[in-house]
Amino acid sequence: MTAPLLAIESVRYRHDAQSPEAVAGVSLRVDPGEVVGLIGPNAAGKSTLARIACGLLRPAAGSVRLRGDDAFALPRRERARRVAFLSQDEPADLPFTAREVALMGRAPHLGLWALEAPGDRALAEAALAEADALDLAGRPVAQLSGGERQRVFLARAFAQDAALLVLDEPTGALDLAHQVLLVRAVRRRAQSGRGALLVLHDLALAGAACDRLVLLRAGRLLAEGPPLEVLRPELLGEAYGTEVDVVPDPATGQPLVAPRIRR
Amino acid sequence: MKRSAAVRAAIALLALAPLVAIAVGVGLSLGAGTLSWTAALHGIEPDATVLFRLRVPRVVLAAIVGAGLSVAGVALQALLRNPLADPFIFGLSGGAAIGAALSVAVTGTALGVAGASAAGWIGLLPTQLAAILGSLAAAVLVFTLGRARGRLHPERALLVGVVFNSFASAVVIALESVLAPEKTQAVLLWLAGTLGYEPEGVLVAAGAVVLVAAAILTALAGRLNLLALGDEGAAALGVDVEATRLLAFFAASAAVGAAVALTGLVGFVGLVVPHAVRLVAGPDHRVVLPASALGGAAFLVLADAIARALFRGLGTEPPVGAVTALLGAPLFVLLLRRRT
Repeated sequence: MTAPLLAIESVRYRHDAQSPEAVAGVSLRVDPGEVVGLIGPNAAGKSTLARIACGLLRPAAGSVRLRGDDAFALPRRERARRVAFLSQDEPADLPFTAREVALMGRAPHLGLWALEAPGDRALAEAALAEADALDLAGRPVAQLSGGERQRVFLARAFAQDAALLVLDEPTGALDLAHQVLLVRAVRRRAQSGRGALLVLHDLALAGAACDRLVLLRAGRLLAEGPPLEVLRPELLGEAYGTEVDVVPDPATGQPLVAPRIRR
Repeated sequence: MKRSAAVRAAIALLALAPLVAIAVGVGLSLGAGTLSWTAALHGIEPDATVLFRLRVPRVVLAAIVGAGLSVAGVALQALLRNPLADPFIFGLSGGAAIGAALSVAVTGTALGVAGASAAGWIGLLPTQLAAILGSLAAAVLVFTLGRARGRLHPERALLVGVVFNSFASAVVIALESVLAPEKTQAVLLWLAGTLGYEPEGVLVAAGAVVLVAAAILTALAGRLNLLALGDEGAAALGVDVEATRLLAFFAASAAVGAAVALTGLVGFVGLVVPHAVRLVAGPDHRVVLPASALGGAAFLVLADAIARALFRGLGTEPPVGAVTALLGAPLFVLLLRRRT
């Protein structure tokens, strides 16, 4: 049996001594071939948990293992070869071109002088194509629109070629077609034995994209399971504190989630 | 920019090589007196002495200082993510100025004699030793005060540096107001940045410091690129942000320290050369760092040659720090307008 790509055990984290725990004892795993969605209301601890999964925040208690190895004992570059992270707030004013940013994803694979080999350049081009950003390659990132920029940073994460992708709100700036493109790219990667942890606000998209959903509220795990089990009106109502309708998509049977808005 | 970073760096260096050659040629040709190259190369005096004892060391000195200030400028701009950062921003100029002013002030006293003999023992002038000690002290101070919760915070260090530089200029002004006029003149000239004639050993030592610093910073260039993504973005790509920052900070400070000790405060080079290089070569530090080293060397050699040539008209040599700004500002505006 292969080790899970990510195994988080009862982690706890608080941002500073006075604030309440942002993550209060959560366990989570991502196996090879799996796409796991992290959902929950604002300030539920999703982004914090995503950062802990990448070894960017060190939990006060609990453990984080990447393919069986302690994430905080791994050399940084080795860790970056095992997990790629796309943040919710990537910088907007970069002077670098889209191609240069995609190539930055190769950084954990480069030697002392950080010079790319032709193979690195080929991978970056392929990643740009995968994120539908190839036509942006020569343009400075600072000149791109929000959605274009998001695709470029996505290409950087793809180029990193890590077994696990952790994407925090990757679809926020994307139009519908590019949301579909993202989901298909992530699922294609999962089919080759890699995996992903996606923080998503769009619950219908989460249901369609993920094999398993993890619902957080106030730093605690509220529910975990296949989308049909987690995306239930009473559970979502409790988590989000508002009435929610869930109806099956007439074509695919996937759950469609909509808040009930009375006017 | 389809070419790889290595190829682009090589192209930039090849493109700059003729510029450096021209600058060196001009630097060796221009001067207070006239020089016969054939006579000098045949060892006929006084031309041989003028060329090999005066002009060659002077050109080498300008090249070392120009390269050192430029790579330090690049590194600090990247570390602070601030295009206005110059090599002196972390308080190094303030520290050096206090040191130099103090050493001028104590000249002729027992302390001055002791300092002079200590400096002479390592082959430096008392002002130079005092400037090195002052800038070192300032670097340590800014670095210590710029830390909080065990981490160096660039914004905090920047603020401390700016405040310290203001404090230092107040100290220097206070000292000047009580000094004899000729001592004040010496301090002022030093502050403006002046190239002199340094012994061979000092040149070799300073050259080695700048070369090592430039090599360290060039090796860090890929990581400096990633720092543009923010601390977290860089860390997610395997960069040890804290260690990178420390190493770059000290490598840049060493290069600046060497430059300051030799020439005082030569402004403008470390701010403008990196920007000029970026305008032409793009933002990639793997290209910008080595290219700025060559560009900075050529620029200061040229500025110094012009300063020396002005001697003929003015009867005195303007400080090279004034020439860099006089020459650099219009050049930079021209470049900026052409590119945007």
